[in-house]
Amino acid sequence: MEISVIGNSQVKFGRTDFACRELGYVILKNNCRFSKGGVCFGQNLRLKKGGGIGLKAIHAEPVREMKNKPSGSRTRSKQADGVRLFVGLPLDTVSHDCNSINHSKAIAAGLKALKLLGVEGVELPIWWGIVEKEAMGKYDWSGYLAIAEMIQKVGLKLHVSLCFHGSKKPNIPLPKWISEIGESQPSIFFTDRSGQVYKECLSLAVDNLPVLNGKTPVQVYQSFCESFKSKFSPFMKSTITGISMGLGPDGKLRYPSHHELPSNGKTQGVGEFQCYDQNMLSLLKQQAESSGNPLWGLGGPHDVPTYDQSPYSNSFFKDGGSWESSYGDFFLSWYSSQLIAHGDSLLSLASSTFGDTGISIYGKIPLMHSWYGTRSHPSELTAGFYNTANLDGYEQVAQMFAKNSCKIILPGMDLSDANQPNETHSSPELLLSQTMTTFRNHGVSISGQNSSELGVPGGFEQMKKNLSGDNVLDLFSYQRMGAYFFSPEHFPSFTELVRSLNQPKLHLDDLPTEEEEGAESAVMSQESSVSMQAA
Amino acid sequence: MSISTTVFSEPLFNFKLSHYHRLATINRFKPNSSHSLSSTSNIINYGSSCSWTLKPPHKFLSPKFVTFATNTDTLQQIQSSDDVIFSQTHPINRIQLVEGKVFIRLDQGNDLKNSELIVGCNLPGKWILHWGVSGVDDIKSEWNQPPRDMIPPGSIPVKDHAIETPLKKSSTSPEGDTFYEVRISFKPSDEISAINFVLKDEETGASYQHKGRNFKVPLVNYLKEDANLIGPKTGFSLSQGDIGQMSNVILDSEATNDKVQDSSSESESPKKENSQVEGFNVELPLTKEVTVNNSISVSVRKCSETAKNILDLETDIPGNIFLHWGVCRDDLRSWEAPPAPHPPQTVAYKDTVLRTQLKPKGSGEGSSAQISLGEEFSGFLFLLKINENSWLNNKGIDFYVPLSTSGSLVIGNREDQSKVVKSEEAGENENSEFTNEIINEIRHLVTGISSVKRRKTKSKEAQETILQEIERLAAEAYSIFRTSVPTFSEEAIVESEVVLDSESPELPPKIMSGTGTGYEIVCQGFNWESNKSGRWYMELKEKAKELASLGFTVIWLPPPTDSVSPEGYMPRDLYNLNSRYGTIDELKDVVKEFHKVGIKVLGDAVLNHRCAEHQNKNGIWNIFGGRLNWDDRAVVADDPHFQGRGNKSSGDSFHAAPNIDHSQDFVRNDIKEWLCWLREEIGYDGWRLDFVRGFWGGYVKDYMDATKPYFSVGEYWDSLSYTYGEMDHNQDAHRQRIVDWISAAGGTAGAFDVTTKGILHSALERCEYWRLSDQQGKPPGVMGWWPSRAVTFIENHDTGSTQGHWRFPHEKEMQGYAYTLTHPGTPSVFFDHIFSHYKTEIGALLSIRKRNGINCRSTVKITKSERDVYAAIIDEKVAMKIGPGHYEPPSDSQKWKSAWDGRDYNIWELEES
Repeated sequence: MEISVIGNSQVKFGRTDFACRELGYVILKNNCRFSKGGVCFGQNLRLKKGGGIGLKAIHAEPVREMKNKPSGSRTRSKQADGVRLFVGLPLDTVSHDCNSINHSKAIAAGLKALKLLGVEGVELPIWWGIVEKEAMGKYDWSGYLAIAEMIQKVGLKLHVSLCFHGSKKPNIPLPKWISEIGESQPSIFFTDRSGQVYKECLSLAVDNLPVLNGKTPVQVYQSFCESFKSKFSPFMKSTITGISMGLGPDGKLRYPSHHELPSNGKTQGVGEFQCYDQNMLSLLKQQAESSGNPLWGLGGPHDVPTYDQSPYSNSFFKDGGSWESSYGDFFLSWYSSQLIAHGDSLLSLASSTFGDTGISIYGKIPLMHSWYGTRSHPSELTAGFYNTANLDGYEQVAQMFAKNSCKIILPGMDLSDANQPNETHSSPELLLSQTMTTFRNHGVSISGQNSSELGVPGGFEQMKKNLSGDNVLDLFSYQRMGAYFFSPEHFPSFTELVRSLNQPKLHLDDLPTEEEEGAESAVMSQESSVSMQAA
Repeated sequence: MSISTTVFSEPLFNFKLSHYHRLATINRFKPNSSHSLSSTSNIINYGSSCSWTLKPPHKFLSPKFVTFATNTDTLQQIQSSDDVIFSQTHPINRIQLVEGKVFIRLDQGNDLKNSELIVGCNLPGKWILHWGVSGVDDIKSEWNQPPRDMIPPGSIPVKDHAIETPLKKSSTSPEGDTFYEVRISFKPSDEISAINFVLKDEETGASYQHKGRNFKVPLVNYLKEDANLIGPKTGFSLSQGDIGQMSNVILDSEATNDKVQDSSSESESPKKENSQVEGFNVELPLTKEVTVNNSISVSVRKCSETAKNILDLETDIPGNIFLHWGVCRDDLRSWEAPPAPHPPQTVAYKDTVLRTQLKPKGSGEGSSAQISLGEEFSGFLFLLKINENSWLNNKGIDFYVPLSTSGSLVIGNREDQSKVVKSEEAGENENSEFTNEIINEIRHLVTGISSVKRRKTKSKEAQETILQEIERLAAEAYSIFRTSVPTFSEEAIVESEVVLDSESPELPPKIMSGTGTGYEIVCQGFNWESNKSGRWYMELKEKAKELASLGFTVIWLPPPTDSVSPEGYMPRDLYNLNSRYGTIDELKDVVKEFHKVGIKVLGDAVLNHRCAEHQNKNGIWNIFGGRLNWDDRAVVADDPHFQGRGNKSSGDSFHAAPNIDHSQDFVRNDIKEWLCWLREEIGYDGWRLDFVRGFWGGYVKDYMDATKPYFSVGEYWDSLSYTYGEMDHNQDAHRQRIVDWISAAGGTAGAFDVTTKGILHSALERCEYWRLSDQQGKPPGVMGWWPSRAVTFIENHDTGSTQGHWRFPHEKEMQGYAYTLTHPGTPSVFFDHIFSHYKTEIGALLSIRKRNGINCRSTVKITKSERDVYAAIIDEKVAMKIGPGHYEPPSDSQKWKSAWDGRDYNIWELEES
């Protein structure tokens, strides 16, 4: 009887190995390209077989030593003209139920890989729904402290994103006690025209209302920030170099005008205004009455399309439609000013809380690029940005950021016009360039982010374009570590992106000759075998 | 019993000194330097095409008494009178990659009369020159039989177009190596423009080509534009079927690059007016995989003096071998390190693992170890590390040697039979051991880098180190992430399935209820109108032969029970099988008829809901009649219309009838009894399960286990995801739900691939064929994730027929079938399509599927997915494209011939060679 069984572990290894192989292969292909000089990847192939010999022999230095060493990759990332590159950690880095680190081994290996690659640091989402899960004021930071320590040990920087929103995938809801309050008081959430409630974050209309067991959301956010600051004080400035303040759905300053955040970065329809929760409506009513048009305060515009419809399917966003009327101007001004006021109160909270640490505060806005080619820019309007063919709506946003000395994060740096569907008149590139100009004019330094974790066609080219040239970015936060990130399909492109950002320091002329190296390796390999035995 | 041995290692990071030297040698390669063989030992294959082939030992070796010279004073001296209680030899065939050369020499006679072509090779093997000639007139044709006087003795003609001539051992090798050559003498004539050949190795079946084409030795000058000409500027590539692997390619390309310079200096391309080519002499590097037979033998003896077990391990694998070992106390085989004394050269490797370097044998290659073990241990576990990155284990599990004195051989056998089950756990252990090893090495590496830095040797080695390290870490992170992310959980299932599949590719396929044989083709044998005639069973019976001849293996019959609705999907009395389709006897009759023509029959089992016959005291219809006279306790509690008193539903609700509460034992027992009755009484072979969204998949597993169907498929139909009216490209969430259901059912049933249907709709309707490839370049439906459980279909009684709830794009049905019938998964074809003007086309596609052996686990390579065309190659045997765009299968080495064309689709098969 002949049975040939290949055990499970083998199959897995087979795959892992294959991944390695693929990586190696890609580098091999790069050989040809690097012949014009620069990093000596051209030697890679040969050394892959032999060069490794010496490595294991020496284990005198602890890992941490690395951060003081003038390694090529390290110094590169410090160059004045370079972009500081951060990589987002998985959204579910810290598990929801037990506050421990998910797949910590993978993250440990990943952190080292990033460090060696010359990446400046990682971005870590810290979820309200995990830290303050059980009860108001009851914080559990343990999982996040553990991961911060891992990051510090590897010598990477940490950019923290405080997430006051929930996530559907992976499923990270808002704190339980918030959801319980929401059961009885759904008006703490955004509501749309048809009465659908968006439960992934609190409505900005309750920012200063004592709806959370007698406290206002702003107070609750503030306590959260203070707790974070005291718990992470050992890491502040040394490891933690940036804090993003969560400002709304998906952490961005916006209304949840698309309840389902679209996958693939696709936004087809115009979205809907989110001004129908009780508190928003009453704010609108006040505003209308004080403007002398009480009838305008009874609700949002009646002639808007629904979420997935095009601007042409109703009259509001059409050329010459209601948006250009004085009513339209009234409503859109009010709607966007509410958003800016919300952003202002959270960012000023953050900068006053963290001001003495010297850490930069960041806020993020969305890139609502669908329908940018129409005059009314409906996607931006429903998201809360009164930006049209007639008006630069980002002026006020930029002023607000400048006032609070905060930096802006602009996503969508991987999106190119060429890869957008024609029918939506979408233009991520033009919108990005408009916002960048506006923010730059107000002295707000700009950070970038890619929008799709799974890659978009031409994404890497577009990122390179945005990261090179005249666009001086403060940092770039690449989204996001995970299986796809390290997959053979993706990781080589990422390493190439990193290399393209950083000018190589080493030149072939600096390198020892083959013979020297061979001799060295031979000696080392002797040591190596000894140390292996002793291990 | 057999032993298979598998090796795994990290391919990119070879810390082998020998490698370095070998490559360095190649770097400095000079003309006229040694032609000797250089052997590289580190080229190892992974996965299923594993190069560690195994041969089964036919029986246990008879007890062996081997006494080792031992210099230890901690071990008891061995007495040859000890009882041998266990002895086993594991043969190990290692594949080594051996480098050699091919020599091609053309001697033109002085007076252009007696020319000679010599092809030689310095690698051992049964080399055959497979050759032919090109005529002057038809230089495109490379395979003409040469003139008779050109054919050396001992040659065998291959049909009428080629000659096979074996290479002979020759003593002319300058270094005295084994050298093989063949000489072809010929008179230069105007009729032959070139000699074309490939070199075949009869032992391995490998054939060696030149730049992916035949070697071409030009005899006249004007052939020079061809890339595969031999003479100057040549490279060498190896084509060896599926064994071709990355390492080979790397080695080859390197060697080739170096070689080009050498050979070009040796012989310049003759550029004379003369139409005859001058003589030349070319060497091309060649690599070949050579199997090296080694073995490991283990024997255990009872020491009569100490009552200890003495274990001897011996192997003839060369080099330094490390034995990683431990002992166990029970069948769980959990590793533990035994107390001292240990053999010399032993260190504690981990808490539970010891590492012993085997002691080289005095006589030549090989090494051995002797270990003394206390009686309290029941088994000895080990792995061998044969070099820095190669491990040997026993078919993916640790080697296990039973130590108990009584019946040990029997135990050994039994354990071997249970290995499939065991391997999973053991694999885990090993996995972690291996990972630790990696991490350990990483630690050294990282510190190594920093030291290098500190010495400020900005060497490229340091740079290199970093790159290697990054790649390794990334690969490690990838492997963990991808297995731990829940979305990928099904991959693990697929993997274990691969294990099963690879077990016996030659044997008849194993039948499982989720897949049948794997080669099933389902016919949905009814539509929404079939109940109208009242004698459907009899009408269908007449079609049985035709369906069998078309190639169907399974037929799905309509729901057979008494039902409130004529179509049968509102069942009432489950034991009453007189329905609008016919009587119970007619049903038995039609089933019998299908069995007669070799078609299995699926019953449509509606288990989610059942209609009541009586009202309860509140006037609610929830009291059942017939033999299964359940009451409201059998109805789920969360459907307000029916006031059930059971538990909450474990799935979605079907609102038109009381949903059955499957969580209760009495319900499940009654259902199992009913299904078994249907199996026996009617002769159903399996099930089509209606609306399985309504209850937990785990209950389905329970029913499948109880009724042991030949094949089963569940209808898990929910909506795909659309964003703003347009279907999302990524339907992973949708197929994940279906896959989750299959997982919950333990893989005991397949599921209709609703995802694939939905994506086909968008792709065909809107000319968006790019949708047919997912982000990973695999099919985007359930078929891409769990093909063996995907039952693909394009239409059924609900979506099409007279209901038309979700009709397939009009007149594009054949494109749909061209997709499903050539792709993996188990295809289901709708009755209305079979008996329509599509019949011939469907029949043709079915026979293409059959004759190419496409099955539910076939592999798909998507070769094109663009706006207006999608193309794929299945099992490397069938190529297909759908869509109006243009596609032709690649025309390199394989020859494709058209097998069937239809409107906007084409199918090709490989031409028989």
